[in-house]
Amino acid sequence: MKSKIWKLMISIAMVSLLITACGASATEAPPAATEAPAATEAPAATEAPAATEAPAAPLKIGASLPLTGDFSEPGTAAKLGYELWVEEVNNVGGLLGRQVEFVLYDNASDPDTAVADYERLITEDKVDLVVGPFSSRLVIPTSEVAAKYGYAFPEPAGGAPGVFDRGLTNIFFCQPAPGADQAIPFANYILGLPEDVRPKTFAVVSGDDPFNLGVVEAAEKLLTDGGLTSVLKEVYPPDTKDFSSIAAKVADLDPDLILGGTIFEDSVGQIQAYKEAGYQPRGAFFTTGPSLPKEFNEALGSATEGIFSAISWFEDSTTETNPEFVAAYHDKYGADPIAEDSANAYTVGQVLQQAIENTQSVDNATLIDEMHSATFTTVVGPLKFDEVGRPEGSFMILQWQGGTYVMVYPDFAKQADPVWPKPEW
Amino acid sequence: MLGQAVLPALTQRQSLLFCQRSFGIVTLPSTHLLIQTVILGMLVGGVYALMSSGLTLIFGVMRVINVAHGAFLILGAYCTYWLFQIAGLDPLISIALTAPVLFLLGWLVQRYVLSRLDNPERSSVLITFALAITMEGLMGTFWKTTLRSVKPEYASQVIEFATYRFPVTRLIGFSAAILVLLMLYIILQRTNLGRAIRATIQDRNAAQLVGVNVQAVSAMTFGIGIATAAAGGSLLSMIYSFNASSQTDWITRILSVIVLGGMGSLPGALVAALILGMMEQLTAVVVTLYWSPIVFYLFLFLTLIFRPQGLMGEITREKA
Repeated sequence: MKSKIWKLMISIAMVSLLITACGASATEAPPAATEAPAATEAPAATEAPAATEAPAAPLKIGASLPLTGDFSEPGTAAKLGYELWVEEVNNVGGLLGRQVEFVLYDNASDPDTAVADYERLITEDKVDLVVGPFSSRLVIPTSEVAAKYGYAFPEPAGGAPGVFDRGLTNIFFCQPAPGADQAIPFANYILGLPEDVRPKTFAVVSGDDPFNLGVVEAAEKLLTDGGLTSVLKEVYPPDTKDFSSIAAKVADLDPDLILGGTIFEDSVGQIQAYKEAGYQPRGAFFTTGPSLPKEFNEALGSATEGIFSAISWFEDSTTETNPEFVAAYHDKYGADPIAEDSANAYTVGQVLQQAIENTQSVDNATLIDEMHSATFTTVVGPLKFDEVGRPEGSFMILQWQGGTYVMVYPDFAKQADPVWPKPEW
Repeated sequence: MLGQAVLPALTQRQSLLFCQRSFGIVTLPSTHLLIQTVILGMLVGGVYALMSSGLTLIFGVMRVINVAHGAFLILGAYCTYWLFQIAGLDPLISIALTAPVLFLLGWLVQRYVLSRLDNPERSSVLITFALAITMEGLMGTFWKTTLRSVKPEYASQVIEFATYRFPVTRLIGFSAAILVLLMLYIILQRTNLGRAIRATIQDRNAAQLVGVNVQAVSAMTFGIGIATAAAGGSLLSMIYSFNASSQTDWITRILSVIVLGGMGSLPGALVAALILGMMEQLTAVVVTLYWSPIVFYLFLFLTLIFRPQGLMGEITREKA
């Protein structure tokens, strides 16, 4: 009898060990295929062939991106931006004569995995430099890891207020404006509408994410100060899938304007729920989701018409280096429209590259000082950071018209007139 | 972080029917919204009932808590999704294909894995938990974490009746659930297999004594349970988006349903599912959406503390 129990326990233990081992390797994807052999073997693989001299050691730059999970769409777009930048840099001889080796891990949109990834990149893989992940939710914990080791942390997408108020000085948010300021152009647009069409009421329905909630809360404050009335504020856990009852509630209250603090899946989920509940607002603003040109359109079709969002960059922008970036992107990846996140990741590369070239050094402390003082020429325009890494610039408002999005506000970026009220979705 | 319902502005429609009042964090919705929410809750409750029916049946017959039921639901959902993507098969029609396949899978699992357990009441949780993690890992490896959902042409359509809105996918889900539950009921009440199953649920030893082949009955019941998971998964794929890791959300919900309903009781599962479905939707509207998922856990705790046998379960007495 006793031996049977032992056998059962041992087999359960072995099964659990097996599952843990398999589960661990399933959730933590190995470094992206192209970099994997280079990351583990001797650096010889990626060096520029120099016939007579000993090749210079490659410059290792590490990153952990959400390639799967909640942030998989913008995370994958960021990966494309980073990889394009690495390829371009290596084609012109690398940085300070050293070829760049990009070490990338997938954190599956999980903050704990992201932290572990950066620890591994810095302590085991011994990368020279790191660049940030997508989303404030991931940037906040991982920037602390970088700060612990004195690494500079230029990042493509972490602009929530919570990113900058911890006293860290190694973070550089490579978009034109921090999260809290992204709502300003939209609030200005709404408050600037003529009295007879201006909305009187609005509702906020947001996921509990530091960035999205930060943007819509900033908008809420500006709109309330400007005379609008908030009829509802709902915050939901980030992985909520069922919006039917909250949509019924919103439909019942019928606010003129809806502000959705969303990533991607929940922006689609909310809009479909509003359709089903029969809620037709006069205007709709969602964060993140509408800035993904391909996925948003595929998920919603004609329901995208008239939806607003804030964005840091657009493909037809004529800022210095942008047309070249757009051309190079389409050369490498095909004709699909470019997601803002790819441009943001590329911007991170540009900032890093210019800092290195200006100082002729890859020492993190030197680069941090340089990034605090210089102005950088990037695809999102000239970038300058304050003492905690907030960029000093302004965002643009996009609106979906005819199956794609165009810039509608403010005047310096305007491609088309905004449509108000929003057509039925 | 708790969301707060802000005091609503006075709307143009001042009639009592549409007026809302707020008390602290609770907002009493208008009557119209209340009824609409109850409708949504009942529709989704029917689907929860279908999903939990297999689980409660399995426990009743084998005293096995199949923690992998959520994973089987998701597997069914994935099968429906791929049939829709590749062959354009409507999710309801694909039940005819996925149910037999998952029946076979369930039958195999019971026959060759679970039946070997000496003490199913103790070790089934661990084994089925391991099975759940394995399935989640495999599905995640093959199909990644991209959220999927099935969108047939009637996906966003709504039927309006007496100013209330009935989303077509949920209506279909509810009707399909009731249909399958009826079929299950007929099997249990009118067929010999059903009588054997009910006998085994009542008293396994006594059933064996009167000649019921409890091994075969157990295997068949597990198969039937997993087949209902296939049907439940198909409805899930239409109404919600899912990926491999969604299975944990679902198993917690349906476990709460069967505990509230009484483990082993099919009518109990139906009643409990409707109650929990309504409570989930009402919480979202009356309090906040943030607390909706908590409803299931709350009922689970309260039931286990105050009435462990659930609404319709039987109190099992330990044999001295």
